[in-house]
Amino acid sequence: MKIADKIQILADAAKYDASCSSSGSSRTSAPDGTGNAAMSGICHSWSADGRCISLLKILMSNACVYDCGYCINRRSNNLARATFTPEEIADLTINFYLRNYIEGLFLSSAVYASPDKTMADMVEVCRLLRQKYRFNGYIHLKVIPGAANDLVQQAGFLADRMSVNIELPSEASLKRLAPQKSKQGILAPMKQIGENFNGFKLERKKTRNAPHFCPAGQTTQMIVGASAESDLQILNLTENLYNKMSLKRVYYSAYIAVNDGPLLPAVSTAPPLVREHRLYQADWLLRFYKFQAHEILSPAFPNLDERLDPKAAWALRNFDLFPIDINRASYEELLRVPGIGITSARRIIKTRRVAAIREQDLKKIGMVFKRARFFITLNGKYLGDAGLSHQHIVSAMCKAEPPSSKKLQYNSRQLRLF
Amino acid sequence: MNPVVYLHDGSFEGLLHAVSAAVKSQQKIHGIYAEQCYSPQIFDSLVQIQTDSQQALRLFEYLKNLKGAAARFAVNGFLSDDRKVGFHLYQMVRECLVHGAKATRLYTHDSIRYLDNLSHKVNVEAHRFTGLIRFRILEDGLQYAPFAPDCMVIGHCALHFKQRLKNRRWILHDIRRNHAMYWDGNVLQSIDIDDDFTNHVRQHGEIPESRLSVEERHYQQLWKVFHTAIANRDRNNLDLQRQFMPRRYWKYLVEMR
Repeated sequence: MKIADKIQILADAAKYDASCSSSGSSRTSAPDGTGNAAMSGICHSWSADGRCISLLKILMSNACVYDCGYCINRRSNNLARATFTPEEIADLTINFYLRNYIEGLFLSSAVYASPDKTMADMVEVCRLLRQKYRFNGYIHLKVIPGAANDLVQQAGFLADRMSVNIELPSEASLKRLAPQKSKQGILAPMKQIGENFNGFKLERKKTRNAPHFCPAGQTTQMIVGASAESDLQILNLTENLYNKMSLKRVYYSAYIAVNDGPLLPAVSTAPPLVREHRLYQADWLLRFYKFQAHEILSPAFPNLDERLDPKAAWALRNFDLFPIDINRASYEELLRVPGIGITSARRIIKTRRVAAIREQDLKKIGMVFKRARFFITLNGKYLGDAGLSHQHIVSAMCKAEPPSSKKLQYNSRQLRLF
Repeated sequence: MNPVVYLHDGSFEGLLHAVSAAVKSQQKIHGIYAEQCYSPQIFDSLVQIQTDSQQALRLFEYLKNLKGAAARFAVNGFLSDDRKVGFHLYQMVRECLVHGAKATRLYTHDSIRYLDNLSHKVNVEAHRFTGLIRFRILEDGLQYAPFAPDCMVIGHCALHFKQRLKNRRWILHDIRRNHAMYWDGNVLQSIDIDDDFTNHVRQHGEIPESRLSVEERHYQQLWKVFHTAIANRDRNNLDLQRQFMPRRYWKYLVEMR
């Protein structure tokens, strides 16, 4: 089989992995080596679905022995199968990297033969790149659940970022749709990586000679919409992963119906893109806006509102906390106002140190005034329309959704004519 | 009295000298432009600046000592190739003389915000091109990358690749300004590229066929295959793709040609 055909098959199979980030590692270039890693990450191209391409995202093989219900590569599907040799992947990575097509490698794989054999081959690719080619670029390695501990350990010293896919948000769904995978098999390596990541980071504070272990941390991904979990369950799980496993990111992937099955949504179902978008917004609230999952959702309202972003929904539910004064509120309070993000909150704080903020300055600072005005006062003056009922404010906020959210909502509701 | 317009030669020193002369003059300033992008207006009285790098250096030292973003605004403002940047720098320097370094944090001031936006634009484009530059590897191992950025980001990019590809020999070529930089493994320097070659690249977006090795074409082909295969057809969103990677960048991108 020609290399081009293998790329065709195995890149196509890898496209369901949501992660594409190449950030978090500042691996420096060696005198006799190739490449380095950029802390901020660098996007190199964008594919037709609008997602960035920064890594050579590819599967080692798609010849899977498992039969997970949601997966296109499951054993019972009839499709073209291919497997790369470690040398082929290393050669592709180096040649693409030198031409500046990519930032590094994102290697994942279906499980062929056994988890250990698969993982060992993936580690072999990393070893070839790091030792034979002296490659110092970014490597993101997917960990195969059930692989031996010492393989995971070796991988950690070679890769910049590792990830174990949690696949589905609950153990029950996992049992139903991916009977060959277990919660334990997924969480054990995650815990191992988390502990080592923190351990070696501490170690490096004591001595500079301690090795890096997975310097960009670990991430995970879960499928949204293939099983019946509520957004509350998903967010609680996410929060726990951030707090207990010290994950860097949790990715959500809207389930694209690829397989027929009694336990799955029908093949004609559209992927739940709006829901995925709202989950990411909520995820941002957890990571950057100092929110907690129980503030965003409650057992009484376990799902995110599709018409409103989670922060606006929170603010409208807690309307008694508002309005707050732009010239007096703390950074944390400012962050909770819809229409004020991290950049504009910082700018408000900075500008206030020089001069008090006037009404004509608000838009210049970069906040979205039409969203924020219902929640703020300026030196005691309320900037929303006085006497507007709560219902009216809710509908005004729905109308003032950011263009990207509006577009997503509109497009996904539009009916096909033909 | 007629509004005064200062003209400089378009270099960084010229710009800074014009700004410092304008600040010192105490007159009502109407604009500070590079000669080549100024169209004469009937009531303007012109002052032509003969660049004195000492004057420019003095102002730049002052801005650097201010600690804040002032020096960055000056450098990035120049790199942005913006027509009106001189006047806004003049306004910024006047604010700095009154308020000190904290003046550069006044987002509510029109000129400061203008400069902040310009600076942001330059930084974003420089970062974007560290990803969007595509090298062609010639037979002798020399790597050549044509690109056409809006701002002068070749310096930023050269510093990036100096770290990343320090063992290779490469040329970055800003086709729009016809400015090329060459890294030979030790030294980074400006070089001139043959005019016929430049014209061919400008016209076709690719180096001449005769210089393109078999191996190079092979990897370009593989990259195109990968680029198509990795897109998720169920989530097609060409608008979003263009938002990040505008059409004007496509010409020298292997995968989009």
